[in-house]
Amino acid sequence: MSKKNLVITSITLTSIVLGLIISLGVLGPIPLTSIRPLGLFYALFMANRNITIEVFPLIVNPGNFWAASTEAITAILWDYRGLDTLFETSVFFFAIIGSIALFRFTEKEEHEIRKKTHENHASEGKYLGLSLITKTITKIILFTIIVVSAAIALHGQLTPGGGFQGGSAFAVAPLLAIAALSRFYLDDIGFKKNTMLLLRTMGLLIIALLAIIPVVAGIGSWQAYIMQNQPKEWAIIQLFPPKGLGVLLGSLVYYNIAELLAVGAGFTIIFILLSIPEEFYKKIIEKEGVEHG
Amino acid sequence: MIPILHLSLISIVLTLGMVFAYLAISERDLLKAIVYSAGQAAMYVIAFYLLMAPDIVLAYAAVGVGVYSAVMIIAVKKTERYEKP
Repeated sequence: MSKKNLVITSITLTSIVLGLIISLGVLGPIPLTSIRPLGLFYALFMANRNITIEVFPLIVNPGNFWAASTEAITAILWDYRGLDTLFETSVFFFAIIGSIALFRFTEKEEHEIRKKTHENHASEGKYLGLSLITKTITKIILFTIIVVSAAIALHGQLTPGGGFQGGSAFAVAPLLAIAALSRFYLDDIGFKKNTMLLLRTMGLLIIALLAIIPVVAGIGSWQAYIMQNQPKEWAIIQLFPPKGLGVLLGSLVYYNIAELLAVGAGFTIIFILLSIPEEFYKKIIEKEGVEHG
Repeated sequence: MIPILHLSLISIVLTLGMVFAYLAISERDLLKAIVYSAGQAAMYVIAFYLLMAPDIVLAYAAVGVGVYSAVMIIAVKKTERYEKP
């Protein structure tokens, strides 16, 4: 028996024994298999149900705190804990600004590397990317990935999913394109670095505007809320249509679309920058060093 | 009543995840190690799904299997494929 098989067998045995011990309740109580109380609490508030009186006698649901979302995670992320998510998105935004500043090039230099790569491949008798069959299949898959990611984000307030999930699913598309079709294909279909930069800035701006609009509209009245989702009966500013008209009418869906733009475009920029050979950046930085002494 | 099938599926999937993690650590060919790591992420995706966390599934599948492996492959491409003993 080789060492590898021995280790794998011992891992399996340990996990079986540990599983038995835990399921017998030796290490402590077994977690609930029904809906947990906190989850039930949020689910009730989300759906604006008034049966809290039966389940939680001490908590009264006045019907004013509902998020108009059947998806608890999205409601918590963008309504109850909206500011947390806003700052989280900002952190991601600034992290990518750092890498853009590190890997910098102009459009002229980008054109140069394109020409040089094509020349190199032509001299070696090779073509860019994988075989024709792979390329065709990849193009079809690219389309489906983008559609699925849009569906994840746009249905975020109804079914599991949301802006970040949709954005990170979207990011797989440019990755596949770089691997199978070369990075120049991304340029050709419009996934340019500057376009992506514009899209993600737009995403964060939309989030910021949506958060601030109710406050700006309510200046002087002291009755407006930052990141207001559903109308409050005691607030003068009723930004989004009143409840009862449907679950789409809150601000959650717009936040999800903006987050999809910010995350998807941000990841795409990273992959575009990483796919450029290092010698290229070294040359640019050396040139800058000579120019600035 | 504890749903035995559900719990045993979770334990099988997590054990497989642990085996994949061991293989990823012990493998000297780094490209293979990345594939094992992606396998471990896939097992965790199934475990999260069984634990009724569909939002985590969506984010973890894209980041753990797709983005993470790709970034690691780029790193291997820019350095060396085989780990020195």
